[in-house]
Parts: sequence; structure tokens; C-alpha cells
Amino acid sequence: MDRVAAVDVEALEREALDAITGAADLRELDEARVRFLGRKSELKTALRNIRDRETGMTLNALRDRLEAGVEERRRELEAAERERAAAGDTFDVTLPGQAIPRGHLHLITQIRREVEDVFLGLGYEVVDGDEVEDTWHLFDALNMPPQHITRSPLHTLYLNGDVVLRTETSASQIRVMESRPPPVYVVSPGRVYRRDTADATHSSMFHQIEGLAVDRGITLADLKGTLLHVARALFGEEREARFSTDFFPFTEPSVGMAISCFRCDGSGCPTCKQTGWIELLGSGLVDPNVLANVGYDPEEVSGFAFGLGLERAAMLRHGVPDIRMFLENDLRFLRQF
Amino acid sequence: MRVPINWLREYVAIDVAVEELAAAINSSVAEVERIVRRGVVDRDGNLGLYRVGRVVEAGKHPNADRLQVCRVDVGEGEPRQIVCGAWNFGPGAAVAVALPGAVLPGGQRLERVTLRGATSEGMILSERELELGPDHAGILVLENAPEPGTPLADVLPLADDVLELETTPNRPDLLAVYGVAREVAALYGAELAPPPGHATPHTIAGDERVDVTVEDRDGCPRYVGRLFRQVRVGSSPPWLKARLVAAGMRPISNVVDVTNYVMHALGNPLHAFDVERLGGGRIVVRRARDGEELRTLDGTLRRLDPRDLVIADAERAVAIAGIMGGEDSEVSKETTDVLLEAANFEPVTILKSSERLGLRTDGSNRWEKGVDPYLAEQAATLATELIVELAGARWTGEVDVRGTLPERPVVRLRPERASTLVGLEIASGEQRERLERLGFDVGDDWTVVVPTWRARDVIREADLVEEIARFRLDDVPFTLPRRRSAGRLTAAQRLRRQVEDVLVGCGFTEAYTSSLVASDPSADAIRLPTPLTSDQAVLRTTLVPSVAAAARRNLEIGNEDVALFEIARVYHPSGGARPSERVHVAGVVEGGFARAKGAVETLFGALRIDARFERAQGPRIALTLGGSVRELEDCLGAFELNLGELLAWRPGVLRYEDVITFPAVKQDVAFVVDEEVPAGALVDAAREVAGPELRQMRAFDVYRGEQVGPGKKSVAFAVTFQSGERTLSDEDAARLRERIVSALRDRFGAVLRH
Ligand SMILES: [Zn+2]
Repeated sequence: MDRVAAVDVEALEREALDAITGAADLRELDEARVRFLGRKSELKTALRNIRDRETGMTLNALRDRLEAGVEERRRELEAAERERAAAGDTFDVTLPGQAIPRGHLHLITQIRREVEDVFLGLGYEVVDGDEVEDTWHLFDALNMPPQHITRSPLHTLYLNGDVVLRTETSASQIRVMESRPPPVYVVSPGRVYRRDTADATHSSMFHQIEGLAVDRGITLADLKGTLLHVARALFGEEREARFSTDFFPFTEPSVGMAISCFRCDGSGCPTCKQTGWIELLGSGLVDPNVLANVGYDPEEVSGFAFGLGLERAAMLRHGVPDIRMFLENDLRFLRQF
Repeated sequence: MRVPINWLREYVAIDVAVEELAAAINSSVAEVERIVRRGVVDRDGNLGLYRVGRVVEAGKHPNADRLQVCRVDVGEGEPRQIVCGAWNFGPGAAVAVALPGAVLPGGQRLERVTLRGATSEGMILSERELELGPDHAGILVLENAPEPGTPLADVLPLADDVLELETTPNRPDLLAVYGVAREVAALYGAELAPPPGHATPHTIAGDERVDVTVEDRDGCPRYVGRLFRQVRVGSSPPWLKARLVAAGMRPISNVVDVTNYVMHALGNPLHAFDVERLGGGRIVVRRARDGEELRTLDGTLRRLDPRDLVIADAERAVAIAGIMGGEDSEVSKETTDVLLEAANFEPVTILKSSERLGLRTDGSNRWEKGVDPYLAEQAATLATELIVELAGARWTGEVDVRGTLPERPVVRLRPERASTLVGLEIASGEQRERLERLGFDVGDDWTVVVPTWRARDVIREADLVEEIARFRLDDVPFTLPRRRSAGRLTAAQRLRRQVEDVLVGCGFTEAYTSSLVASDPSADAIRLPTPLTSDQAVLRTTLVPSVAAAARRNLEIGNEDVALFEIARVYHPSGGARPSERVHVAGVVEGGFARAKGAVETLFGALRIDARFERAQGPRIALTLGGSVRELEDCLGAFELNLGELLAWRPGVLRYEDVITFPAVKQDVAFVVDEEVPAGALVDAAREVAGPELRQMRAFDVYRGEQVGPGKKSVAFAVTFQSGERTLSDEDAARLRERIVSALRDRFGAVLRH
């Protein structure tokens, strides 16, 4: 029973397999596939008109064999193609791929996130403070005496006698502590404003991240350990930290932190002014007056606080020479990072 | 504050390398900005080439009128021949000599030279060549005739290292060499010498009345006035000039130099008046009169404010208290009678006057930080000693006008509390010793009496803890707080990061622009009453203008593919004391409305916010959720959205929908409608009648032309029908489509285009 429903199965199979195995490339193979297995092919037409089970089995088996043949030939041709390519024809892998445009986060955002993530890992929350503050939260509660130099309109931008653009993110400390009992573990990043004429290292607007931990038994040693951890995350695991006495109204004792120079590893270079150390930030134990101002008992809890200038960190780490570049938004600069 | 090490060593005998000393001071006392090495370099035997010489013979150079040829004994037996350009000495004078091979303070190496036929085997030095003073007119003639050949370094401070300190505002006591010496003594457990001038105080040689009236006790809590007669104003001896120069001050005359020296030694600024030039010979401390003027020492005529504290004579102001003296009453060469002022001024008064006048001096810098009122007498004592010795003066009168001076604060210290707070066990004996070396009196019960020079700064236990902690900072271990706290980003913070990332993924680069702008489209925008510059006068209510300006600058520069975004706060009046602050995101992109809208759609897609766009007033502006998309005049596309609103519209947890089991039916359909009909309205109407089985309907082409006729357009949509419950048959799809076609026909007169 070679002849089924007017189809010569053997002849068709021979003809089809000849075409399939004889296909010289993938295009010819596809032509053969359409001719013998396509919607309008003799075989497909016959399959649609099947009347009896036996014919169906025969034709379906033929279709399976032909499809298997196509697959096998396809694999052979693809393998040959790869071999040819490997044997060194003209396919140029060094040409650029198809361009997929990508934007860039501002360098300050990148550093902000890095610091946030370090502190999230330490179990801190991130708090967004307002940029317009009242003088109580920015100055009085932070233990700045009425005559403190920062309060002068020569240094601070006033909206009116009691409302100012914040000069530091420290006001966030007060807002957080007012809003909840201890313990408090927070960092607060954001914009700050000074009445400074712009030059290479000054800007009337820049960014800080403030950190605060208040709990039972917080020590100066905890401050040192925490800040060393941050410094290493930002500037490399080999960094060492050195602390020195300093003064801020809202911390007592106050200490500045310097890190071992990441450019010269301490042997001296222009970045560290030949000292091997780079001043990074100011910090200290929270002044008991500050704790009392928010209703915390300084005998019960203690804390530490620090403020890091994000532009300063970025300039140090990446060698950016001028703080004004962060606000110029020249894409040639922004796309470097 | 410059601290010459030689001067420091007079008060505290320490023998450590200057680098080590600087590191210790930097850690525990004040920032050391740098170490300046002054004078003759002490290296490779260089100091040994500087000797005391005695001039044996001196005569005019045979071939040069302005030169002398000298024979100078430098302790070698045979005198050397040295050619010299100065004439202020003769045979017998003891002089400073540098021998050939010596490296001079400027770095120049001295060679044996022949000047107009006469060989010079060395150089006779002036004080300026040794960096000991400004004088270059003549050579330095040494007093007391030391032996020829004596190392010059034994006689003169040839080499010195100077520490430049940046002190903190709470430590005016460190603006004095003696104050720094006290800290060094505490650092090394070394002996501190008694305050200078106190070893052998001079006694008064007269009982003249000194007429001082303090009208303003608040501004001037203390005024010590001392009168000196028969003063011989002249130049200071080399040691004094050397110290002033090393400390960064310019020697002027012995009397003025003494006031500067005492200020630098003890931290109490002084002033010397020429008594002859004081009207009525008296001093009145008062506030300035309205419109009062004074020509200060720097030659500037200054208009005073009634809040300024002045030192006046019977008629007029003669000095701005604590800041600068007047030209008229200055001590000059002719002065014979001097009134020395060792006062105490209230810090805020001086600070405010200094700010008003834009005049900062070594004096005001100290007063504004709060100088110890007890120091005035000590300073007067030292100054008296020096004026009597150096200017041959007679001290003939004294007055000390003062009210009750503040008591020394008394603070309780718990040594164990200090150890706890620092996180380092510090023995109580060490704590006691450190405090005592710093001048605190520590009782057996740990009642601590604060020294007068720290009375403003140390008033609580925490302040004492700092005094102890700052000497052990390097020993404090590195630990982390013991509590395990839990932190995470808030939903708003995660949204912000997501928006940043999506826009970066869309090819936008993040810009940072100023919150303060020259002007803002909103009439309600908050203006600063006294802005820094006119282009930073208003708190902005919108970000787009700033971001667009940044985009335009980039285009001008020639940067390509300009697409910028910014996330920042905007400020609106709230009715309360502070404005309301909202976080916005804005973007500006080349490619017009469509690019901007595409970015917003991608953003909404990423945030799973289903948002609509509606036409707003004005050309090419669409309102959408939380903001708008628009095209700017120069064909830049722009958008601005309020992140707070987006946050509110974010869906909660997404629920699974079966989009796989039952195949979708996809069709393209086109409708001809009037130009005014927005595609979005067609989609809305279709959704309404077709229900959830209309999975997607997206306009992909708009055609205008002959085939559709004038005033008409053809909008082609890719339509997807799908059910989550069954396979839609061709008939189902046809039925849904017919519903859409008839609804659009009824509402918009839309005609299906084949
Ligand atoms: Zn370095």
C-alpha cells in the first residue's frame, strides 16, 4: 500500500529528503521546508483531507520523518557556519554592538546611596529632613548660643527672623528625636545652604549626610568603629582612621576624623598635603544639652552624631578639582561617573 | 596661631622631635596646619658655619667707595678678610659671620668671592639675612661682645620651627604660646614654667593718678591702665624681633613690639597710647556717639556706630576697643609718656563691631572668643617688665577698674562615667593628673574647680570628659553599638531610587540645579529678603526651567543626546511658618513632546501606575497624574511630576493574571474620525463597551490625506482580545470588535476603515 490518498509516499519522501539533505545553506533549507512541509504543501493538503486512520498514521509518520530531517540538516548547517566563522572569515567581533543609550546618576546621588546603604546594613533608618527650618531646630536645640557666628545673616540665608534655609542637616536630628523615644539610629541626607560666594571649594548649596545614634551605653568607641566602617566602605578596606579633638556646639566631646590617604597610602602626596592623612568629617558625642532639649535624659542615654559633606567625599575620592562642577551639569562631566 | 618652638620651650622643657610634637598637638589640642622651618637650615653641619666674629680692622675698599674691607677674627687664630657693604660698625664690633659653604636662609650657598680685587672669605650678616627682623640697612651688631668663634646659634635663635595651629573658637587660651605650653605640659607630663613676668615683678616707682573711667562695664569688665614716664622709644633687641617675626608679626618699635609680644605670649591683647596726645590725659571707655569718626592705625577713616565700644579721651574716640587703635594717639619715636592698656572686653560687642566694620585683627580675633578677665593683670605685669627693661622707662602709676569678676565654675566629675562614655578604661589617677596639669583643681571628692581661662568653655561634666578623652583618642578602641537595630528605606525613598533608575535606564542623566532661582513662574513663590545674589533670590516652585536651562547649556556646548532629569524639592507657601516642601522629578529631553511622554509612560509602566493624559491649555501640554508633559518653545520635551502623588497611586501587591493558557486574538483596526477627537477618547470608549476582554488597544499610526478627506484623520490601533477563562473564538473577537465599532460610531462618528 504505497499509494495513499493519491500521494506517492515513497517518491515524496525521496524527493523531500533529497532537497533537505542537499540544501547548501539555511535559506535553501527553509525553501525546502516550505515546499514539503508548508501550509500549501502536498503533504499538508493531504493531511487535511485524511479520511481513514491508517492513512493518517502513515502521513503523520512521514511528516515526523521530514521534520526530523529538516532539524538534522539545520544543525549540520549551523555547525558548519560556526566552524567557518571560527576558521577566521571576516566577521568582525570588535565592531561596537548596537548602541543602547544609558543615562548616569549624578555622582552625589551615587555617593548618597552608598552611604545610605552602609547604614541600612548597620540597621539605621534614612530620614529626609526639610530644607527650610526654624531657628529653634537648626540653632537653639543644637546648643548654638544666640551669638553663634553661624546664626549671623552673613553666614545663613534667612526667610524671616525665625525661618532659614538650613546650614546643616543636623536639624534632622532634633526632628527625629522629638518624634520618638530612644533608641534612635538614623542617617539624614540632603541639601544645605550657606551664604558663601562660590569658588573652587565653596558653594552656596551643597549636600551633607548626617548620622545619629542615641541609645543606652553609646560610647566614643562606637563612634570610632562606626565611622571607620563607613570610611572603609567609601574609600577602601585598607583605610585607617585617626581622630583628633575638635569643636562643635552640638557635640561634647567633639572629634574630627582623618583617614589614611588612599592615593599614596600614607607616604605623602598632594591629595593629603604630604601628611598621609585626609580630614574627612566632624563628629562627636551628642551634647547633653541637645539630648535635654528633645526631652531625653542624658543620664539614661548617650549618643554620637556626625556630618559628612557629600561633595567633599566625591571630590576627594574622584579627584574632582572644583565643587562648582557638581552644579554645572555638563554632560561630559556627568557621564564620567 | 603660630607657635615658634624655641619660644614654646621657654615655658615647657620638652625634648621631642617637632613632627612628633605636632602629631600629638594635632590629636589632642588643635589642628596643626603645617610646620614651618625658619632661618638657618640645621643640616650637614650648616649651623657650624655660622660664627661670632670680632672685627679687627675695617677700612674702605681701595677700588669701591661703598664697600669696606674688614679683617674679622672668627676664632681661627688668623683673622679672615671679609668684604662688607655696611658701615654701621667699626673695629671691635661683635658681628654675625657666615663662612664659605654656608647655606643662607633663602637657600643660597655662600661662596668665596673676589669683589673688585679683594677676596671675601665669608659674609657679615644683617638681621634680615638671618630672618631675624626686617632691618637690612646695616649689619647686625651683637650685644655683650661674645667670644670670637662662638657658634652663632648659641647667641642668636638662628633656626626655629614654627607650628601653625588652627584653634577652635572655644579655646582663646590657645591663642597664646603660654597656653599651648600648658597643653604640651599636660601631653607629656612635663613641668610648666610659671607665667612669664611673674618671676621678678617690677615694683611701681611713683604714685601718679591714672585717669580711667569705664562708662560701660558690660562692654569692658576690666581696665588695667599703667603709666610710664621717660620712655625711650627705639628698636627692639634681636631676640624680641626674632620672636615676633617667627610668630608672623612685624617689629615696629620696642613699646609696640612689647604689646604684641605679650599678646602672643599670654593671649591678652594690649594697647599703648601716647599720653601727650590724649585729650585731658584721660581715658573714657564708652559707646561711640552717633556719627563719631576715627582714623585708625591703618590710615582708614571709620564711621562708628553707637553700638561700637570705643576708648576715648576727654573729647573723642582714640581707639576702637579691642580692634584697632587710632592714628592720632599712636606711640611714635617722639613719645616719652605711655599709657598701657591691659583691659578685658566683652566678646559679642567686639564680634559685632568687627563684623560691622569689616575689620578683623589679631586683637579682635582673641576678644571675640572671650579672653579670661583675670589675665589682664598678668599681661600688664609682663609688659611692665619689658617696657622698663627695653625702653628704660619708669612705671609711675596704675589703676585697675573692675567690677566683680566671674567665679571659677565648680563641676562634679565621676571618673567612671568618663571611662564609660569614652569606651576606654582611664584610671582615675590619670584623669586627676591630666586635669591638674591643665590648671583644674580637683578635690578629693572629685569636685573640680575650673581655671579662669577655661571658665566659658568648661561648665559641665561632659566638658571635663572631653578634657580627659582628647588626650587618649588614639587608644579608644573601634567598636559598634551593641544593639541590633533594624532599618530600611521608606516607600517614598524606594520610589525615589526606582524613578532615578528607570530614568537612567531611559537614557536620562541626572542633573543637580540650584533651589534658588532668579525668578519663578508662580507669583506666590517665596522670595528671600536678602539674597546672596539676584539670581538666587527665589525658592523655586518648579524644576523644569532650571533643568531646561541646563539642557540648553549642554546643547550650546555641543553635547549630544541631551536628556537630563532632576529630583529635588520645590517650595510653596503653606500658611504656616515654614513653606511646604514637595519632592518633584523633572526631565528635559531632545526630541520634543513625544520623547518626554515616552519617558513618562515608561516610568508609569515601571511603577505600575495606569495614568491618563489630558490636553491642557496651551500648545502641546498634557496633564497627567501628578504633573504634566509639555514641549518647550525650542522643541525640547519636558515633564515634571510630584513624587508624593505618584507614591499615592502606586498599586499594592500585584495579582497574578493568566495571560498564557488561553491564546490572545490580535487585530489591527483603523477608524476615521474628526481631527479634534483624541485617540485617548476612542480607547476610553472602547474599554467601556468591550470590558476586560479588551486586553490592549494602542494607537500605532495616524494618517491624514486624500483617502480620509479634509478635517479628518485615520487612527490605527493594535487591538488584543484575551480572556483569562477560555479561548476566544473568531466569533467572540468579531462580536467584541463590533461593539467597539458601533460605540465609536455613535459617540464620535467614527468610521471603520478597511
Ligand atoms: Zn597622600
